[in-house]
Amino acid sequence: MIRAIARKEFTQYWRDGRVVTVFGIVALLGLAATVTGWSAVSTMERERASAVAMDREIWDTQGLKNPHTAAHFSRYAFQPTFNLAVFDPGLTDYVGNAIWLEAHYRDPAALRPVEDAVEIQRIAQLNPAWVIQVFGPLLIFILLYGAVAAERESGTLRQLLAAGMRPVSLLLGKAVSAFSLTGLLVFGVLLGSAFLMSAEGIERLPDTGLRTAALAALYLVYLAIFVFLALGVSALSSRSRTALAGLMGIWIVATILGPRIGPDVAGALAPAPPAHEFTARLQRESSDPFWGGSDEAVQRRQQVLDDILAEYGVETVEELPINYDGHLLQESEEFANDVFDALYDELWGSYERQRAIARVFALFSPTIAAQNVSMALAGTDIHAYRHFADEAEQFRREFVLLLNQEMIDHGGADGYAYVSGNDFWRQNPDFAYTAPGIGDAVRGVRGDVIILLLWFAMAVAVAALGVRRGFLGEVAA
Amino acid sequence: MRAILKHERRALLGDRLQVLLLGLFALICLSASLRGAQYREALEEAAAAFEAEHLERAADWRERVVAVESGDVAPEDDVFAGLAMDVARPAVAAPGPLADFSRGVTDVHPFTARVALWRSVDRLFGNYQFQSPNEIRAGKLDLAFAVLFVMPLLMIALTFGALSRDRDSGRLGLLLSHPVSVRAVVRSKLLVRLGAVFAILVAALLAGLFIGAGGVPGGERLGRFGFWFLAASGYFAFWTGAIHWFVSLNRRSETTAMMMIGFWVLNGLVGPAVLAAAAQLIHPAPSQLAFLSTAREVSNEAYRSRADVMRGMLLDHPELTVENYTIPEYIRVSYLVNETVDRAVEPVLEEFEAVQDRRQSFLSLVQYAAPAALAMLSINEISGTDLARQVRFEGEVRDYKRAIARHVEAKVLAGERLTVAEVDAVPAYAFREGDLGAVGRSVLFPVGYLFGLGLLAAALARRNLARLQTRFREA
Repeated sequence: MIRAIARKEFTQYWRDGRVVTVFGIVALLGLAATVTGWSAVSTMERERASAVAMDREIWDTQGLKNPHTAAHFSRYAFQPTFNLAVFDPGLTDYVGNAIWLEAHYRDPAALRPVEDAVEIQRIAQLNPAWVIQVFGPLLIFILLYGAVAAERESGTLRQLLAAGMRPVSLLLGKAVSAFSLTGLLVFGVLLGSAFLMSAEGIERLPDTGLRTAALAALYLVYLAIFVFLALGVSALSSRSRTALAGLMGIWIVATILGPRIGPDVAGALAPAPPAHEFTARLQRESSDPFWGGSDEAVQRRQQVLDDILAEYGVETVEELPINYDGHLLQESEEFANDVFDALYDELWGSYERQRAIARVFALFSPTIAAQNVSMALAGTDIHAYRHFADEAEQFRREFVLLLNQEMIDHGGADGYAYVSGNDFWRQNPDFAYTAPGIGDAVRGVRGDVIILLLWFAMAVAVAALGVRRGFLGEVAA
Repeated sequence: MRAILKHERRALLGDRLQVLLLGLFALICLSASLRGAQYREALEEAAAAFEAEHLERAADWRERVVAVESGDVAPEDDVFAGLAMDVARPAVAAPGPLADFSRGVTDVHPFTARVALWRSVDRLFGNYQFQSPNEIRAGKLDLAFAVLFVMPLLMIALTFGALSRDRDSGRLGLLLSHPVSVRAVVRSKLLVRLGAVFAILVAALLAGLFIGAGGVPGGERLGRFGFWFLAASGYFAFWTGAIHWFVSLNRRSETTAMMMIGFWVLNGLVGPAVLAAAAQLIHPAPSQLAFLSTAREVSNEAYRSRADVMRGMLLDHPELTVENYTIPEYIRVSYLVNETVDRAVEPVLEEFEAVQDRRQSFLSLVQYAAPAALAMLSINEISGTDLARQVRFEGEVRDYKRAIARHVEAKVLAGERLTVAEVDAVPAYAFREGDLGAVGRSVLFPVGYLFGLGLLAAALARRNLARLQTRFREA
């Protein structure tokens, strides 16, 4: 019976020009978004590969230079754009592509693609995930708003029930047809993305297969939520017009207003530290207490001197078997690193608080939760960005230590006049980044997954309520 | 007509859902105004604090030069006082006059720069990328968003059943059997419902004007507000015309609603997304990473061959050959290395600007296909938060650095101190807002186009309704 109803619904969709047109437009958008996403990711990866090679070459051929001078010039960590960004670029355009690994300072990632984007991109950015998140529910609502209400208006519902049709079968038949059609869209877009993201030159995210499967599951659950909601609302509405108005209201709140209002309110309640203040604090708190002229700074430097003299059991700097300037520089790094940890924890903390507040809005908009999970699976969320930034920072510390150590060990009395050559630079390691696996990626979005499941349960409950009230009312009549 | 209007007014006020929607819109606008005012104030404070801090530093630095020049401090006791390489000045673009109405691109671009010779042009703007990426991605709930996206949705929600509800219930024939024109009925319904929306819009914009100004607004703000109001009214007129036309098609309620929502989606989401993607695909920006690599490569090369660079400079400027050079050599080297980098990356930076120009030209042509994009571009320009303004600021800051370099170059290379008079003559930077008249001329045609589209749609709607009336009479 369910199959017969689904087949009848498909025939009806096919005959309804509006449905064919809307589906065609959405499918076309999905295709355009997939190709655009692939083009953007492959360009970014090509440029990154070239920049990485150039960075190495520049480093290797810098010639005679003091190691600490080289630490100021330093190197860059370039963030890879992984294959699943073709499907969901998430925050890719809003975080920087490159982190300067200079001595004495922890820089933010610079070169954000959004800074080069045209301003109307801020209205909407064409990408496959966005097409499914926004247009999938719209398509479902258009397909299903009259699923029960229109049957009731035309009097066919009473006939069907009188003929012994089970309400659940009718509902499931309609659900299967709408779900299959929109599911086709999800699989089409995901398959297209999977095909394009396997292109040469695009780096694979660990667990890509698992992640892709999880993305497919996520979007099927996401669309199922809207399918059941639509059926429930349609069954509970006396007229299809009322059902459509209600569903359009849900669509607007869920996909348009919610994802914008949530982060906006979160930004107001838990603001990130203003950039100028944060930059000033980084400078002030990491450098001045060590290198400044205050008593505290002078004492700190004196302590470093006393400690090293005591360690080597000598009286003067000249007697030290190491280069003292290099040692002092490294001590200042150690001091600054603690400050960077504290300040960046504060910064990341503010992002996390914002995310937690915005998540509350997911109770009104499943799209917010779906976006969070989708970005996490695609490796394009804030957690993935932080992982990269932290790894880059770890490498910066090790790299600067390596350069300072060169000066400490070999600088002798030359100090800042000591120079290393290309032979030394060529031995220095590259920053190699490995993204976290799926387990780590989804750890931060467990709350969103729970909210999505709650939404699913709620949608099924609404549909069940529709069956009880809408259909039984009809039977009673 | 008056009776219909009265009836419609009563019907609107009696419909709790519609009143709730109007209230929600008013609330969203008020919240947008308050948040916008906060945002603009924060930008102003940040800009003022940055400028004050750096001017204070510059003043302290000048004091050292005065002390040496007046003999209070012996030159050998402060070797670096007046060091030409240390000249640093702030360059600040205060927030646009209506940045509280539309934030535009202000949340991702720098608006301050510490212009110093120690920094090559690729590093002039320092570190400013600390905003929450999630927040930037989501966009802001400002008045521009309320007007461009929420207002049309409200207009649709209030009017999609204006005619079709009577049609669906079979009352339309009965209504038209009375001596009343269908045009008058539709006009009255739209007038009451959309009039309420417009009243809220006007009130919200006026509230925004005063809230953002923190009192009575000044002349520049008022002038810009006039254009903003015109643009918002143009967009409202465009939607009024479009809705009038959809209603006049006399379809079933759900079909009318779907057509309107479909149009909203095409105009507000698909259109801008496709235009943005097309602009970027047709006019791709140069690679930022390649720009970075170029700057580093040149810097490295210049540093490596610093002896040659220095020799070249002295060949060009033999008058700068000094004996007993007391300032450390690395200072001259840094200057020359930065100078070399600045010159090398100039073509790339020009290409960035040229691409933005080409995209701007492209969008100025195709924006007419998506009125939401057109309205947004006009509104950002009026607000002083558009990309072109930002590109101009960044270009001016680079020019400013060149101006400072020209002023002190001889002293840097000769290793001489600046005198107090020379310090005082270091040029200052002041960002000038675009001329109000120019802004008006620039947005006049796009805004006129919105009004024109609205009028055209309304004219077509009148024709459709006249035909409908005739059909009913004949029937």
